[in-house]
Amino acid sequence: MSAAKIISAILAIVLAALLPTIWPNPYYIHLMVVIGIYAILLLGLDIVVGYVGEVSLGHAALFGIGAYTVGVLNWQFGAHFLLTIPASIAVTALFGAILALPALRVNGPYLAMVTLAFGTIIQILINEMTFVTNGPLGLKIRKPVFFDYHVTGTDYYYIVLVALVATLFVVQRILKSHLGRAFEALHDSPIASDCMGVSVYGYKVYAFVLSAAIAGLAGGLFTYSEEYISPNTYNFELTILFLLAVIMGGRKTRSGSVLGAIIIVMLPNVLSDIELFRKIATGIAVVTVAYSVYALATRQRTLKQVALPVLATIALAVSGYMMDNITDHRLTIFGAMILFVVYYLPNGLMGFLRSIVQKYRPQWIHRHEVILEHGDKHHVWSVPDHPVTARGHLLEARNITMQFGGLKALNEVNLDIAKGSVHGLIGPNGSGKSTMMNVLTGIYKPAAGEIEFNRKHITGATPSSIAGEGIARTFQNVQLFGEMTAIENVLVGLHHTFKHSLIDVVFHTPRCKKEKNAAYLRAASLLQFVGLADLANEEARNLPYGKQRLLEIARALALNPSLLLLDEPAAGLTAPDIKELMAMINKVRGHGITVILIEHHMDVVMSICDKVTVLDFGQKIAEGTPAQVQSDEKVIEAYLGGSAAA
Amino acid sequence: MEIFAQLILSGIALGMIYGLIAFGYQLTFATSGTLNFGQGEALMLGAMVGLTLVGHMNYWLMIPLVLVFGALQGVLVERLGVLPALKTKSEFGWIMTTISLAIIFKNVAENVWGHDDVTFPSPLPTAPLQFFGLRVLPMEILVVAGALAVMLAVEIFNRKSIYGKAVVATSNDRDAAGLMGINTGMVITFSYALSSMTAAFAGVLVAPLTLTGATMGAVLGLKAFAVAIIGGLNSGMGVIVGGLILGIAETTTGYYISTGYKDVPGLLLLLLVLAIKPAGMFGKSVIKKV
Repeated sequence: MSAAKIISAILAIVLAALLPTIWPNPYYIHLMVVIGIYAILLLGLDIVVGYVGEVSLGHAALFGIGAYTVGVLNWQFGAHFLLTIPASIAVTALFGAILALPALRVNGPYLAMVTLAFGTIIQILINEMTFVTNGPLGLKIRKPVFFDYHVTGTDYYYIVLVALVATLFVVQRILKSHLGRAFEALHDSPIASDCMGVSVYGYKVYAFVLSAAIAGLAGGLFTYSEEYISPNTYNFELTILFLLAVIMGGRKTRSGSVLGAIIIVMLPNVLSDIELFRKIATGIAVVTVAYSVYALATRQRTLKQVALPVLATIALAVSGYMMDNITDHRLTIFGAMILFVVYYLPNGLMGFLRSIVQKYRPQWIHRHEVILEHGDKHHVWSVPDHPVTARGHLLEARNITMQFGGLKALNEVNLDIAKGSVHGLIGPNGSGKSTMMNVLTGIYKPAAGEIEFNRKHITGATPSSIAGEGIARTFQNVQLFGEMTAIENVLVGLHHTFKHSLIDVVFHTPRCKKEKNAAYLRAASLLQFVGLADLANEEARNLPYGKQRLLEIARALALNPSLLLLDEPAAGLTAPDIKELMAMINKVRGHGITVILIEHHMDVVMSICDKVTVLDFGQKIAEGTPAQVQSDEKVIEAYLGGSAAA
Repeated sequence: MEIFAQLILSGIALGMIYGLIAFGYQLTFATSGTLNFGQGEALMLGAMVGLTLVGHMNYWLMIPLVLVFGALQGVLVERLGVLPALKTKSEFGWIMTTISLAIIFKNVAENVWGHDDVTFPSPLPTAPLQFFGLRVLPMEILVVAGALAVMLAVEIFNRKSIYGKAVVATSNDRDAAGLMGINTGMVITFSYALSSMTAAFAGVLVAPLTLTGATMGAVLGLKAFAVAIIGGLNSGMGVIVGGLILGIAETTTGYYISTGYKDVPGLLLLLLVLAIKPAGMFGKSVIKKV
């Protein structure tokens, strides 16, 4: 974090601490407490919505579980604040796990659907289980007592402020660590993430449980703030408000969560005052019309583009004067606001501010951590996490059959890869080479057959666990984490070297720093090895195609593999680049890493492979040294068609 | 035993309604990979419009008008909520927009038709029929028959007509279908129209059996989610069986345990199915090609 950022953070905290002396009115203090509590929840929700990219419609219910854990423990057992708050975090995290473990197994809108159902059920359960929760009557709780001192409303403001600052700190540390990098990676390219040993499913669940724990903390604090809880508070409307806050404030920013909390707490107050609403709506309409006229005059926008927002804001202002009461239309206004934000402010208010600053002061905006580490030759290589114990064959695939509908992409193929060799896998397009790669790395589950790698059966294992065993790969159609820098891509490959826990991440323990520094040095060295040292802080999607392929190799090597699968590494490379690539592959082999190479450039295959397997229509038609394969009639027939002898 | 049989019979009628709404989710999920989180509100609007129309005409005449209204409502949702999100390929986008349209529809309905639930006049005699000592309402038979008829009609349309082929092609591979000259945008709009139409129809079928009001849709839409997941989002058979399982689970839990808990087994079942067979009981798990 830069000095300017630290100073502004300290100033913000001091200002927040002074607020109760500026507005001593208990009503305002209570509003600020609620803002603080909502901000805590939103920081957690943003991990799921902003970073992992899943939609949770159950955060109001999780908030409610946190609130009721405190309420019930206090009501039934008279438990103390210092006990109930940790309990509410733990219980809510547990519920989060129960939800996330099944719901995140499948891609698609399942989490949204399941959490929506969960929200309803929790409300029913709180209402029905009267013996635990006192049902619809609700629970009364007093503010905590410390050593016979009864905490007042203003004191409680400071308790919440401390909790908020602590949450901000923890969330910031987590998101800037290898965990946050894993969240971003799995959102960017799930398939690559899995193949780099970062389990998409595992980290999505992790993110959701973390988010639930934070919601639990917020819920627990809310109980002591309100001093009365009842089931109907934690309804669907509250969930919608939370989501509105996250997207309106701005996803993937901590300040956006705080801003979002301020908006949704103030919103009901604005919407209860029709006069105020009319003034604001008229103001928005005037600004929109003025901006549209300006944009039209300077030809930045077309009439078609500005028509909808202009009409909508005018309609909003006019309807403000036609309505005599606004609370009845509250939900319509929430809905319209969400539509507006989704379409016109996809990055929220903070994102909007950021884009303005970027326009005039681009040097102020850092989208990525700039890593200026210099690599060297000594830190490129490392020993595999699982030492190679196999003798002779490192990998043996027996009778692999892979079926897509009626088509057998692989039909009883056997493949033995000798330890320390470069093994070529060639064949015409559609012969099953890439399918074989996907079977070996666990992306496809073969219909039949067995794979033994390093004396372990890996048939049917998940891609991330196979990667953990020491098989790394590159992709035929490049699968980089496009929105991350080159060095961050390599750091995702180095994820397995980060062995420290959440506690280490939060407190930046020596162990955490040591592993981080080692990883940075290693990543820089790997980039230097593939010749991308100058482009370390460039976003991967901006690299030219050939460099992207090299970056994939660096990322794969970061996994410390004992077997490296290269899927058409020379595609898109120029002739001098291909020469360098071949030297690179030889160096990789020189360091004891076995290589499987799929390639269409025959000169590459023939000059560096020890053994070549030829596939055609899912069958193995030949195998042997490059020279043997080259003179094999079946191979010539497969490539050129017809009979060579004719 | 007789009570149990009776509970199963009532569960069937309820389950078919859930199944019909879930069928609506499948229609749009197949063509566009999206679904309308406001399906329950589409049902509610159908029922409310039907209720207004029934004051002026006969129940059977009202149905085609409600179907037309449903289709238009579906087109509106697709144009306002789904189309822009599909362009930006944002899952978050369409989930949020269909939800926000849903709460707007609900709020507007509250302001137009009021907050109170009302009864919908039944077009059929309300006296139950007796079969082997079991009581069945004529309206329940209509619900089952109507739901099956709609699903059958859509299935025949998809299999026999050239337009149906376009829908099936789009479901299989949207890009390839587009390259073959099928206007896939049109197909998606059509699937939304059809989906909301079935929801509106489900609304006028279920309305005479329950109370009608602005909040009737939310719970039904939610139950249908459970059905769609339990049965599988891509299986026609799945929604019927899933609907029946949920309907029967609900009536039996309501009787043997407590009406308050009747929604709980549905969610437990939902989580269980996701844990054991994520594609749903009848769903095919698709191998995602890399």
